Amino acid sequence: MIKQLILKQHLVLWVIATGSVIVPFFLPNRYFQDIAVMTFLWAGLATSWNLYSGYCKRLSIGHAAYLGIGAYTSTLLYLNFGISPWIGMLAGGVISAIAALIIGGTTLRLKGTFFVLSTIAFAEILKVMTITSKDITAGALGLMIPYQPGFANMIWQGKIPYAVLTWIYMIVVLIISVRLEKSKLGYSLIALGENQEAAENLGVNSTRTMLVAFVMSAVLTSFGGTLFAQYVMFIEPTSVMSMGNSINFILLAIAGGMGTAFGPMVGSFILTPVSNLLRGYLAGISGLHGLILGLVLIVILLYRPDGILPQLKLLFRYLFGKFVKPGKGE
Amino acid sequence: MEQVLQVLISGILSGGIYALASVGLALIFGVVGLVNFAHGEYLMLAMYIAYWIYNFSGLDPYQSLIINLAIMAVIGYITFKVIMERVLDSDHSIQMLLTLALSMVLQNLALMFWKADYRNIRIDMTNDTMNLGFLTFNTPRVLAFFIAIGASILLYLFLQKTFTGAAMRAISQNGKAAQLMGINIKRTYGLAFVIGTTLVGLAGLLISPIYPAFPTVGASFSTLAFIVVVLGGLSSVPGAIIGGLVIGVVESFAGYLAGPAYQQAAYFLLFILVLVFKPNGLFGRS
Repeated sequence: MIKQLILKQHLVLWVIATGSVIVPFFLPNRYFQDIAVMTFLWAGLATSWNLYSGYCKRLSIGHAAYLGIGAYTSTLLYLNFGISPWIGMLAGGVISAIAALIIGGTTLRLKGTFFVLSTIAFAEILKVMTITSKDITAGALGLMIPYQPGFANMIWQGKIPYAVLTWIYMIVVLIISVRLEKSKLGYSLIALGENQEAAENLGVNSTRTMLVAFVMSAVLTSFGGTLFAQYVMFIEPTSVMSMGNSINFILLAIAGGMGTAFGPMVGSFILTPVSNLLRGYLAGISGLHGLILGLVLIVILLYRPDGILPQLKLLFRYLFGKFVKPGKGE
Repeated sequence: MEQVLQVLISGILSGGIYALASVGLALIFGVVGLVNFAHGEYLMLAMYIAYWIYNFSGLDPYQSLIINLAIMAVIGYITFKVIMERVLDSDHSIQMLLTLALSMVLQNLALMFWKADYRNIRIDMTNDTMNLGFLTFNTPRVLAFFIAIGASILLYLFLQKTFTGAAMRAISQNGKAAQLMGINIKRTYGLAFVIGTTLVGLAGLLISPIYPAFPTVGASFSTLAFIVVVLGGLSSVPGAIIGGLVIGVVESFAGYLAGPAYQQAAYFLLFILVLVFKPNGLFGRS
């Protein structure tokens, strides 16, 4: 019975996730459609972040590095060699995987705090390198992608195609996330998050498990980086690689529910529109928008560290629970 | 040779400030076990306080030292009471995220109230120089160095020689045992937090005559302080002092040899090398 209920909850979340694709078609103008694109994109990115840090409970505050690798790889290949961003996206994924293997190989064995700090250090080094290698990356000036619409260029007129593309990205990451939860790798990862020593004693190969998840998370984040670059059509080191982006992944994941497949999506569906609208309406008072987000994060961490998703599940149970008899231990 | 010496000493002078900005973090980490990402934001607040006091009353940062530090202590106490005290038993990642959120709030508050403008305090001393043989130094920097090192050493003596200091060291070694010996844990935590924020405030005040205040000025100091503290072996105060000096010199030489853009990259690289090869810090106990 309880399994049915869980299945139903997942079903509802799947319906929300897949149904959301129609929303952009009903939005009145480009402003709101832009918010829809950002919501899908951030949902995918936060879900990618969650794949390692959420399940394993080890924070990476340097994931913007992979967003940057994805954005810069595809953009540089496109601008210099005319290679389609679709291929560039895969190339970015390969480079991110290599970077994650190197970074993960050196830092994943570090204990909590040290690991967190090392992720920041790597992201900052990469940012500085991008800024200083002016010949290749144009440094702080940034790179502009010329407007030449076409499927091969991953550039379209209007926002709707981007909304569909970012939605597909989100769905793909969600499917990977849900499948991971039910796989051996996912169980091992969650066990490591709960208690590393106990998990290792039970035969979980911690280094391998963490490295695989870390690389997956980095590659998926990097794909999002390419989408970001093709959508905004302008990238510069601080807009893609700043710590603020990494913190936003965390904010969305925490708000929805860290370590759950759908949590980051729920977080993005609620917070990204709110945050964008706030930014629009409060543009006159710089800082207010960031202040509100910070306060929201503090309140969530103090009073609901598990995020909104468990609350939604309770609500769901309250609304529909009478049709299902609760099982043991519920 | 002359130039190398100048670069070296200029690195040591900045290193003193880094040491002072970091000892508080080391203390908070050692005693409370809290990784405080908002540490640099207290430095930012102290810089603004120094700026506004100077603007309204004409008291320069050295004259307003006591008032400024008192305000910083109060702000530290309020933060501890309102936020930190609630999460002392929580997960490490929750604590870290909370301090990240706090730094977001403080930065944006500063942006809201004081805009993103750079605010300089131009006192008579700002451009004064001191000559030492063939070497020339900016007077506020020399002053800042000596006060910073003095304050760091005072903190060290406090930890070694007083009962409260011994209590703090006891908690950092074994919290449960210390509690069984009758040490009031929460009060000691609070005190360590307040001392930590006040000391980083002092660092902010000391650099205010030579460095502009802006909302995100603390962020770079936060990461810097972390690196210093890791180099020094996390919870060790003398380690943090030496770590600060090392970072100052590394940064200074990286700037001299490779250009200012590489200063940050240099100490991040050093940081990763230390993490990989000597995870207990350069001076930490193994």
